[in-house]
Parts: sequence; structure tokens; C-alpha cells
Amino acid sequence: MKNLGVYMALFFLLFSGIMFWEASSMDYYSEYGPGPGFLPLWVSGFIFVLSVVYLVVALKKEIILISKILPKGEGLVNVLVCVGSLILFMMIVPFVGFLIGSAVTLFILFMRGYRWYWSACLSVTVAFVIFWVFGVVLQVPLPVNDFGW
Amino acid sequence: MDSLGFLLHGFETALTWQNLLYCLLGVSFGMFIGVLPGLGPTAGTALLLPLTFALEPVSAIIMLAGIYYGSMYGGTITSVLINTPGEAASLITCLDGHPLAKQGRAGVALGIAGIGSFIGGIISIVGLVLIGPFLANQALKFGPPEFFALVILGLSLLLGLMGKSLLKGIIGALFGLALAFIGQDQSSGIIRFAFGQTELMDGFDFISIAMGMFGLSELFLNAEQSLKGKAPAPPKVKGLLPNKEEWGPSMKAIGRGSVLGFLIGLIPGTNSVIPTILSYSMERKLSKDPSRFGKGALEGVAGPETANNSYCGGALIPLFTLGIPSSPTVAVLLGAFIMHGLTPGPTLFQKNPDLVWGIIASMFVGNAMLLILNLPLANVWARITMVPFKLLFPIIIMITIVGTYSLNNSMFDVGAMLVFGILGYLFKKAEIPLAPIILTFVLGSLMEKTLLQSLTIFKGDFLGFFTRPISGTILSIAILTLLFSIVTSIRNKRVITEDVEM
Repeated sequence: MKNLGVYMALFFLLFSGIMFWEASSMDYYSEYGPGPGFLPLWVSGFIFVLSVVYLVVALKKEIILISKILPKGEGLVNVLVCVGSLILFMMIVPFVGFLIGSAVTLFILFMRGYRWYWSACLSVTVAFVIFWVFGVVLQVPLPVNDFGW
Repeated sequence: MDSLGFLLHGFETALTWQNLLYCLLGVSFGMFIGVLPGLGPTAGTALLLPLTFALEPVSAIIMLAGIYYGSMYGGTITSVLINTPGEAASLITCLDGHPLAKQGRAGVALGIAGIGSFIGGIISIVGLVLIGPFLANQALKFGPPEFFALVILGLSLLLGLMGKSLLKGIIGALFGLALAFIGQDQSSGIIRFAFGQTELMDGFDFISIAMGMFGLSELFLNAEQSLKGKAPAPPKVKGLLPNKEEWGPSMKAIGRGSVLGFLIGLIPGTNSVIPTILSYSMERKLSKDPSRFGKGALEGVAGPETANNSYCGGALIPLFTLGIPSSPTVAVLLGAFIMHGLTPGPTLFQKNPDLVWGIIASMFVGNAMLLILNLPLANVWARITMVPFKLLFPIIIMITIVGTYSLNNSMFDVGAMLVFGILGYLFKKAEIPLAPIILTFVLGSLMEKTLLQSLTIFKGDFLGFFTRPISGTILSIAILTLLFSIVTSIRNKRVITEDVEM
């Protein structure tokens, strides 16, 4: 199956199904009026029904082929690198701190457009500038290591 | 007369040196993101929001509001010079603005757009001064049923007008509403849909969702293109004023655009693209020679550019008086109010007059700053379009991480931003509009609270809404709007506009 609409409809079906299941275990009505399960039950129920309609429409009428809308080659690699670098940042920053974590992430991202030595210079410079502007000047909390950087 | 006194007092607040500085920072950053394709006003405003934690509420909102209306000015420059709108509201400007640039008249197009934007901006703020307090007074009489009806009206208009498919729009809106249920229920105190995760007990942070859906997803889309190319140099801008005979028609177009933009801004659920399209078609219809349009008609730039700036002032009225945002960017402003302990709505004018009138006064000042930034410095702004994306996007990604992390000092928010970024990217590919998701998420708690309160008042009878004249009328309009959208959708005659942030 290479139709994006089908996957989107299945996503909404799953999301609303779980929500409906959870909401059905909450109070629908209390002695003061509608309970915490009232609106979630209706909303998830509506999403479920509409998702079924969406699934039918996606299969029969509005076919959006994944091969036509997702990038290929360099474009696809760029998008995957963006996503991957963010995941990497979240994984390494608790251990190495903000400066090293951000420099590594930036290096990977800059490598998509620059040579390695330019990428290295840019990533270290940008990491330091962001650390100084946000962490030192603006006093914004950053995910730092035990040494404070 | 009371309003005039309050406004003068507001100028006292707006003209302090630090508020002038924050206003300048806001409008300059707004111009910057308007010029820059790849970073929209919602993500731009959300990006600066965590940095305003330490500021006085009035200074913070002056700066964030500056980004909102400043980005309207900036988007024009790229539309005229390189035929690429920096934000959606300037899309229509490409039609006549770029042909004017090709004729060597880029300066004139930018000049009239700047003058029109300034006049439109000022007229809409005057409208805000005149109508805002009156509407707020009326809204004080509103109860939960009226507020619920207003939210539904806003959403029905939004769904009726936005995105290619009504079905996808409704699913998106309900999805946003469902996300708002996650966390502690305001009425009962019960934790819902947290699945045992402590991070989910307070629900998703609005900024994580806005930054992911409007910031990251846009960066992913831009990253699809090759990063190795170089941006072409924009044409030189010279001669900012129109010819003698062009002044008359242009000023008439500016006048019409001002009124049109302001009136559409008053309606919750509309967006800034609608007044630009209406203004353009109105100018073409009223023109003695409609064939000039699309080939460099100055009124085709003056009208829409005025209308989108005038819309901004109008769109702040539902926020200030009812607490209802009409677009994702205004929703971020609502978030800024809440973050600083303020509640936009009918009581804002009474409880925080210094703040409201300070912000309104700052908008007069900000528009004057933008006129100065826009006209003589057009060449400088134009050169920003030459900054390569391969240099910008790693920096923007890192700043979004910092901004999102600083919300709660939590990597969970960064993870949530990434998830919503990927979802936003896929939703855009599947043509599911994002604006309804964000708006229903923001309005979710208000909607649920007012619905439950109303149903308690009406003892569970939904028809009770129709026993009160205001809520009954508003809900009837909302239902008619939705029915009209469904019928026109089935007949394939639905008038649609792009899913936009502003």
C-alpha cells in the first residue's frame, strides 16, 4: 500500500480508538453535570467515524501516492538527517552537556551543505554563540552537564 | 473620550525607552521572519516567547505583537523582488508586485506597499481603540453558553474557509481538541489520557505543538530542496514613490483595503489571506482597465498589502475582548498573555488598562518604526534573501530546541516538538490543514469548560443554547455556515484559501 491518505486515516482510527477506549472508563455524567469522559467520548467517537469516511475517500477518490509526494535522493537524506540529528541531540545531551551535544548536532546538519572543515568551524562557533546569548546573557535554562556547559 | 484618555496614558507606557527597544526588536524580528522563507510568524513568535519569561508582561507582549504585524511588512519584500512570498498574506502581491519589479519599478511597489501597510495598520488600530472597549463591555454580559457559541462560530468559519477538504479540516480540528484533553481535567481534577507518564499529566505544551507543526515541519519541507545552490541576487530597489497620476487610484485602493481588512479581522476564524484576495478582486472589478492587473497594476499591490496589515489590528479585537484567537499566530499571543498571568477577555480592559492601552499605543509606534525600516532600508532587507538556507536551518533548529527546552527545563517538550514536527510534515503532504489543529488545541479547555457549564445550567438539554437569544443566534449562524460549507463542498463549489498561520 503506497497511499499516504490510507496511513493517515489509519493513524486517526488508532488514535481515536485508544482515546474512545480510555474515555469510556471515565465518568460520563456526574451529579453536578457532564463528567470528565463526556466530551472526550463524543470527540473520539466523531474522529473514529470521520476516519472511516476518510479511509474510504482515500482508497477510492483522493489517492495520494507516497512516491509522488515524499522527496527522493538528496532531499530525502536532508529530511532524515534533520530528524536524526534531533534524536541524536536528545540522546547525547544528558551525558555530554549542551556545548558538545549542540556542536555535534550542528556539525551533522552543516555537513549537508558545507565541507567538513567549514562545518566544524561553523558548528563550534554557533554552539558557543547560542550558549553565550541564551545561557549567559538571557539566562535561559539549557540542558547542561555537571560542569555547567 | 475615555478611550482617548486611556490611549494617551498608554503612550506613556509605550514610549519608555525599554518598551521602545522591545518594540523595535519585535518589529525588526517580524520583518526578518517575514523576509525569510522557512520560518513563519507562528514559529517566530513562539520562538521568542520563552525568552520573555523575565520581562514585564507589557514589554513581552509589545515585542511579540511587533513580530505579528512586522512579519506582514517583511513578506512583501520577497514577493516583489524574487516572486516568493515570505508569508502567505503576501502571496497575492506577487501577481502585480513582481511584474512591477521586472519593469524596474520594485521601489515603487515596495513604497506603496509600505505606505498602504502603515495607513492600514493605523486605521485598524484606531478601530481597535474605538470598538474594543465597547465590545468588551458587551462581552461582560456573556455567560458560558455565549462563549461556547462564539468558539463554535469561529471554528465553523475556519473550517468553512480553510484547506481543500472539509472532511480533513474537521478531522484536524477534532484531533487538536482531543490533544487538549490530555492532562488534568479542570472540572474534576482527574488526570486523563496520561497513560502513567508524569510528563503528560500537565498535557502537551502549546509551544511544543506550535513550534513542531509550524516551525520544524516547514524546515523539513525546505530541506527537501538541494542545499548546495546559491540564492540569486535580488534586483536593486530605487525610486520609492509612485507617479503623480498613480497617487489617486492607489490611495483609493488603500482606503478600501483598510476598511475591508479591518472588518474581516473582526470575524473570528478568518485569516489574513482572505482580505488580500477580496481586496485584489475588488480593485480589479473597480478598475477602468482590469486588463492591467497581473501585468504590474499598482492598485493590485496597494489594496491587498493594506488589507493584510489592517486585518492584524482587527484580528486582535476578538483576542482582547473575548479571549478568542482567530489564527495560530494570535493563539501564540494568547499563550503569552496566559504565561504572564493575564487572561485576555472582557475583563482585560477593566483589570489591566495600563497593559492593554500600552500595547495598543505601542502598535502606533511600531507601525511608524516599520515604515522607517521598510522604505529607506528595503535594499538591506532584500539582501537577507541571499543568506543561504544551508547556513540558516541548522541555526534555526538549534534555537527551536533551546526555546522548547526552556519552557519546562524538559527534554520531553523537545521530543514532543519533534513528534509534532513529523506529524505536521506528513499532514501537510496529506493536505490536512494545521491551523484548525492548533486553534482547537488552544481553545479546547475554554470550549470544554463552557460546554460543561452550559449543559449543567440547561440540565443536560443541548437545545437550551437556543433558548438564549445571543447564543442561539450565534450557534444558528455557525450551523448554517457549516451546512453551507458541506453543500458547496459536495457540489465542488467551495471557496477555499490556503492553510495559513496568520
